Amino acid sequence: MADAFVLGSRPVYTGTHVTRRQDDALLSGRGAYVADLRRDDMAEIAVVRSTVAHGRIAAIRTAEAAAVAGVIAVITAADLTDVSPYPNFASAYTQTPGTFPLAQDKVRYVGSPVAVVLAENRYIAEDAAELVEVDYEELPAVTSLEDALDPDSPRLFEHWPNNRLLDLQPDDSEAAAILAGNRVLRRRYKMGRHTAMPMETRACMAEVRDGRLHLWCTNQHAHIARTTLSYVLPMAERDIRVVIPYVGGGFGLKQHLYPEDVVASWLALRHGRPVRFVEDRAEHMIAAAHARDHMVDIEAAIADDGRILAMRVQVVQDLGSAEIFPGAWCPALTTAAHMTGPYDIGHCAVSVAAVATNKTPGGSYRGFGVPEAVFALERFIDEIAAEVGVDRLDLRRSMLLQSEDLPYKTASGALLDSGSFAESFEKVVELGEAAHRRAAAQHGTDQQSRVGVGYAVLFEGVSPTHHGASAHWAGHESCSIEVLPDGGVRVASGVTDQGQGTTTFVATLAADALGVPIETVEVELADSDSTPYGLGAFGSRQAVIGGGALLLAAGEVRDKVKRIAAHMLEATEDDLVIEAGRVHVAGSPEPAVTMAAIATRAVIRTMDLPPGMAPGLEATARYEPELMEHVPDERGRINASASYANAAHAAVIRVDLGTGEIEILDYILAHDCGRVINPPIVDGQIWGGIAQGVGGALYEDLRFNDLGQPQTAFMDYLMPSALEMPEVVIKHFESPSPNTPLGMKGVGEGGTVGPAAAIGNALAHALAEFNPQIRETPLSPAVVRAMIPDRGAAT
Amino acid sequence: MSAPAARRVEPVAEVPISVTVNARAVEAVVPARQLLADFLRDDLRLTGTHVGCEQGICGACTINLDGEPVRSCIMLAAQVDGSSITTVEGLASEGLSPLQQAFKDNHGLQCGFCTPGFLMTLATVDPDEYPGTDGIREAISGNLCRCTGYGGILQAVRTAWNRVEDG
Ligand code: FES
Ligand code: FES
Repeated sequence: MADAFVLGSRPVYTGTHVTRRQDDALLSGRGAYVADLRRDDMAEIAVVRSTVAHGRIAAIRTAEAAAVAGVIAVITAADLTDVSPYPNFASAYTQTPGTFPLAQDKVRYVGSPVAVVLAENRYIAEDAAELVEVDYEELPAVTSLEDALDPDSPRLFEHWPNNRLLDLQPDDSEAAAILAGNRVLRRRYKMGRHTAMPMETRACMAEVRDGRLHLWCTNQHAHIARTTLSYVLPMAERDIRVVIPYVGGGFGLKQHLYPEDVVASWLALRHGRPVRFVEDRAEHMIAAAHARDHMVDIEAAIADDGRILAMRVQVVQDLGSAEIFPGAWCPALTTAAHMTGPYDIGHCAVSVAAVATNKTPGGSYRGFGVPEAVFALERFIDEIAAEVGVDRLDLRRSMLLQSEDLPYKTASGALLDSGSFAESFEKVVELGEAAHRRAAAQHGTDQQSRVGVGYAVLFEGVSPTHHGASAHWAGHESCSIEVLPDGGVRVASGVTDQGQGTTTFVATLAADALGVPIETVEVELADSDSTPYGLGAFGSRQAVIGGGALLLAAGEVRDKVKRIAAHMLEATEDDLVIEAGRVHVAGSPEPAVTMAAIATRAVIRTMDLPPGMAPGLEATARYEPELMEHVPDERGRINASASYANAAHAAVIRVDLGTGEIEILDYILAHDCGRVINPPIVDGQIWGGIAQGVGGALYEDLRFNDLGQPQTAFMDYLMPSALEMPEVVIKHFESPSPNTPLGMKGVGEGGTVGPAAAIGNALAHALAEFNPQIRETPLSPAVVRAMIPDRGAAT
Repeated sequence: MSAPAARRVEPVAEVPISVTVNARAVEAVVPARQLLADFLRDDLRLTGTHVGCEQGICGACTINLDGEPVRSCIMLAAQVDGSSITTVEGLASEGLSPLQQAFKDNHGLQCGFCTPGFLMTLATVDPDEYPGTDGIREAISGNLCRCTGYGGILQAVRTAWNRVEDG
């Protein structure tokens, strides 16, 4: 990568465990999340939500609710006369849901916001919300993606020709020709519906000060949220400030600008009082974005030794009602982009459909389409091995990309410029086989259980374009750095922190890039008034893209520091080093000038600057990766990410033949995210990602009945506790990307995308004697029991 | 959720309570239906007690009531009359307690939303009753964390309980 992206002369923090600066506040209960904010004259809202999955709104009666003492207003869509629907920038290739903050005419899922009560407090607002009566003319509900694909199914949106929001059929003639001349294997895989379920629900507080709207919210992007509000409210963007305080986990779910954010803002503007919304968990289950719910059909031409010669794939994503912004079809495109895995599969044509159903809108969730691809492909490879009679590990070896194959462009267009695909795989095989032998020795004589080991190897696009999701924003990030007269440093960036440690990496890289003590670096994030326009948190991008912007800004500041110091020391710039906030000639620590003396000269005693030098010691930079593409070519190929991390997973499991329960005995992961900034933070991302992957693979399931009524309460939504989560062995590989700042690649999702595949393959291995069909998640005990002869009947 | 404030709604029964919170005596008149979590968070401004589910499942709202861990989201403020409560704000008189410090040193938190609940659960636990790492898993099994996958939390507790050899 160009020399612009370098740390300073003596980096001391990067690559070490810098403890996080917010932890003192968080550990002692002093960190203020949105729900902790309060104003004396604050009012609160409660949302009246649709109780039917599909219906026409015949009447809404609000008078009784409005008469309750303490109720300030009850509003419906009809009141929002000055509000615009959420925009659709992808209308060239998608249908438009025309999403409006409150339901107009129709409701399309249980939980859809229909009316909002503003009251003195939430207790009163909830009481009054119960008095709002809504009459629905119910319509038949579409509750599965199979139904939604049926052209005769009831339509959710009358102005669409069918229920397909997106329907892309790229030219597949090349793959088809190869399929025609070879042995073909076909399989269908499905990943169930689950969701991010951050421990903090969604929340916002809107307040009008001096005629400007200030919105504190749990969104992952201060600037995208501000711009979106300006479109929808509509309102001048300069009159809006979005602030994101401490956030209790985002995982993608908080990428969307939800209706409540708009309505709370509108009410604050209209009534002149601060308005707070804090979602309760029951609402969260039906009104915050769901995810996954994909079906992947693979047809592949197979060589005699099992190698995949060409694939034709159809990905279908169930979008729920699709009433969400940014739109949620992009996971299906991401699935398509990952269908070849890190294998040398020369031909892969993927068609993609995203369909609307009468369920909670799907949205983003960590992994974002990649777990679906990995589950389908890695299960498929094990199934090929079984079908053809070759070893599943050797089959992978025969197709895996080797270092000498790199850089490699996949059939889907991803540019894999670096990676340790084969090496990381061999590492987890070595550890996984050993763990499996131990497990077999320990449990092998137990007639009531079986043990098995399964593997998954994958690459994962990280730091992607936003364009796939929004068809609007692209992929840059920003950073401003200012050195204050006392030598302290202020860093402001468009990246945001939902707990992943963003603040810490910003401080770490800034301190090393400028050569100052980390304690002297103040980090400002997630306030649209005080940070430069950036895109915030999604797609494991922040270290790579945010780090790139930071290094560019720091480089400019560093150069100027050296120029001023050279003048003061009467030395040449090239001979100078900056460390611990002092600049001196390399090899001789004295004489030295301090950052304070340099900055004082730069902004106060500017008459002492070198002749002709402009005052100031600050820089703002933006970084947009050159190789990242934003729109696919005519064959659907796109290099949508600035970099690609890779990982190999191994799961060793024990299956109880009586109960069908799966216990994970060992979980091994080899991960490669290039240069590591903070090892414990990287490991924490991996552990947390695996926990979410394990949850989706085994337990978490959002079910709906045929009427579209949600069937999963929070109590039934089984997220792994410490008892279900195995001990994890993590092995790090570092293959720096030649195309990213410092060779970094994102780490946020590598843990999440593999568990369903690894555990599914382990289950197939454990139950091989029964020849089970493992093609869906979650692999709940009931599903597993059904794979075991004589046990299937039991429930 | 906040308690009825200035403008009253309909007659809501009110109950006087006296309770010790973080070693401070508190006298209050609370609406009979007010949740303990809301009383702590909204009336006393002790917002370190977090509400993740309001259903007694996630453990985020755990506080100590007369030395026992309880979920403040499924108790009424009126029920704690005469009791003594500790919240996360009362865990250390200054700085961090050894357990809090161990969470910091071992990256035992990410977003920190669940953390007060874990700390308050662990504050009442006798380590001897929960041997080994499996014991620690058992001790915290009623608290959900969505960020850490529990790895950093287990390491923090091992450190605080001098069980690093188990790791
Ligand atoms: S908020 Fe009390 S247990 Fe979840
Ligand atoms: S640290 Fe975020 S939920 Fe535990």
